Amino acid sequence: MVNGWLLLPIGVPWLGCLAVWLVGDRKPRLQHTLAVIFSVLAGATGLALIPWSSQRATLLLPLGGVFDDFRLATDGLSVFLTVVATVIGSLAVIFSVDYMHGEHSLGRYYAFVLFFIGSMSGLVLTTSLLWMFVFWELTALCSYALIAFHNDDPKAVRGGVKALIMTQLGGLGLLFGALWLYAYTGSYDINQFLGNPNVVPPAVLSWMAFGFLIAAAAKSAQFPFQTWLPDAMEAPTPVSALIHAATMVNAGVYLLARFYPAFEAVPGWRLAVMIVGMLSALLAALMALVAFDLKRVLAYSTVSQLGFMVYAVGAGGVFASQFHLMSHSVFKALLFLGAGAVIHGLGTRDMRQMGGLRQSMPFTHAVFMLGALALAGIPILNGFWSKELILEAGLGHGNPAWIAWLMILSTGLTAAYTVRMVSLVFYGNGSKHHHEAHDAGMAMRTALLPLAAGTLSTWLLLGPFYTALKSSLPYHTLELGTVWEEVVKVAGSPEWGMTLGVGMEILREPSTYLVLCVVIVGLVAWLGRSRLASLIATFKGVEKAAQASFGFEAINEAVVQAVQKTGEALRVTQTGYLAWNVFAILLGWLVVLILTMLGRAS
Amino acid sequence: MDYLDGVIVLLVVLGLVGIGIYAIMVSRNLIKIIIGMQVMVKGVLLAFVLAGRVSGNMGLGQSLALTVIVVDTIVAVVALALAVRVRRRFGTLDPRALTTLRR
Repeated sequence: MVNGWLLLPIGVPWLGCLAVWLVGDRKPRLQHTLAVIFSVLAGATGLALIPWSSQRATLLLPLGGVFDDFRLATDGLSVFLTVVATVIGSLAVIFSVDYMHGEHSLGRYYAFVLFFIGSMSGLVLTTSLLWMFVFWELTALCSYALIAFHNDDPKAVRGGVKALIMTQLGGLGLLFGALWLYAYTGSYDINQFLGNPNVVPPAVLSWMAFGFLIAAAAKSAQFPFQTWLPDAMEAPTPVSALIHAATMVNAGVYLLARFYPAFEAVPGWRLAVMIVGMLSALLAALMALVAFDLKRVLAYSTVSQLGFMVYAVGAGGVFASQFHLMSHSVFKALLFLGAGAVIHGLGTRDMRQMGGLRQSMPFTHAVFMLGALALAGIPILNGFWSKELILEAGLGHGNPAWIAWLMILSTGLTAAYTVRMVSLVFYGNGSKHHHEAHDAGMAMRTALLPLAAGTLSTWLLLGPFYTALKSSLPYHTLELGTVWEEVVKVAGSPEWGMTLGVGMEILREPSTYLVLCVVIVGLVAWLGRSRLASLIATFKGVEKAAQASFGFEAINEAVVQAVQKTGEALRVTQTGYLAWNVFAILLGWLVVLILTMLGRAS
Repeated sequence: MDYLDGVIVLLVVLGLVGIGIYAIMVSRNLIKIIIGMQVMVKGVLLAFVLAGRVSGNMGLGQSLALTVIVVDTIVAVVALALAVRVRRRFGTLDPRALTTLRR
């Protein structure tokens, strides 16, 4: 049964999780080895799914009536995200061999990382909304456990709890969506729903659409839930690279892209998605410009780039968003792991204490530069192509122009904060620390090199990826433009020719040059900031606001305080006396009885 | 079994459950509370059998009742063991002493 293969990307990491856990913390060497073996195996099973990316292979395990059947299916979208999860997962595990060397409770660490890889594969492979919800929550659990991995550090624990609570809000939206779907169609099957979204009444459909938007925003740390991601940076850096940059935070974008055909026509939904994406991209880019913690800068940058993807979905560029998702996973994982090497070498995350690391860490400098240039959107690196596609989608399709212009502004800001980050870390005068710094170790290099190669080359997959998505997603309308079709005719081979064609088309677009100009202005503005001092001074207010994360932390605090106050106030009702509790149960029973009788009567 | 029999059994069920709940609410001795719980569960057992009879699905009602008997025994055993622990720890069987979880 060839379709049993579909279980492997979930099963192999989960087996590894058990194995590492059972080995016990007395044998750290064996734990490292086992984790690497199982994650690489998982990566191999993920890659083995690629031949199925353009067709639909399904697997159905009947589970009786209470739960939905366990359904897995391949298509371009799910296979590609499985590959991202398993391959980047295995690289993060390899990186951890150096990074986590000598840490306590490695069993817990590796078990949760492997458990996460399996859950993420399940999340994207399943076609049942209920099971999607289950896997969705499993990834949130792993994220929580790994953020709070250093559980003797109150900051880490608080960050973990914050992430857990905020993503739960999103999970609620997804659960409601799933239950509504079941109530109206009697099945949780996603594809059945996408084929005919009108089985659900329009009002409920729009509730579902906005519920899913909230779910996606919470999971992907989008406006107004973006505050959990920077606090999640207390996690060990490979975890940040894997969960909080490359995979889990993409689940929200995946959800929106997957359900785009169903919600496309809901009035106001696309605009709402675009605005959420735009606000996240813009505000997070501003915050990245003023942060001093290296990992926080990268976290804000992740929020910003996810904002680009969300915006692209809203703008109708589903393909552009997924393509940027791929590019971003690769170069952001590279940046995070590079930052991990820097942090490991120096023992600090504060960029003000770095500087001049170019000499002492030449290898890290080289790969980090590659990732940074891709993030800034410099041509021929993968970030350039995908970002262009997004902005092109935003400028076309009759989308509001003002949002597109703000996105272009965010592109410039991206370039500016990237240059700031790189110059603070690797250039300038070295501080006292950098003599002790050591460059990345062997395992770290093994993980960084493939990612660097990917940053240089994944844009070549544009054509094959596009054909795979187009042939396997029957309900999505994917489009790139018209020019490429002619080019494909000339080039003959439809897949690789398309890369060429799209490349040509992008180079011909005036918007490309516009964006490139903005990127260069962003670069120059940062490099020449001393000359522009008077201009920058006028934006002092913005800087202040950005450092205070635009008041969202204050809102969070207020909510937390309010909840605690309510809890304290309700404490009076908890007398602890059995008689009162029984009395309350009886009272509740009476209320339910009366309600049902009223329901019967009407 | 005609309609009247059903009503009588239902009244017995309500009576047993009511007695049980009353005992749980007013007793100040954990052992008596556990006994009250047992009485209540016996009422529920009867209700299962009755429901099986009324719905014409005797087998289901009886098997559920058997399951509840087994579960109920375990509950009673665990509850009594807890009562022993409570007595040793607090020196009393009064449930009003067990409010330490409140704060």
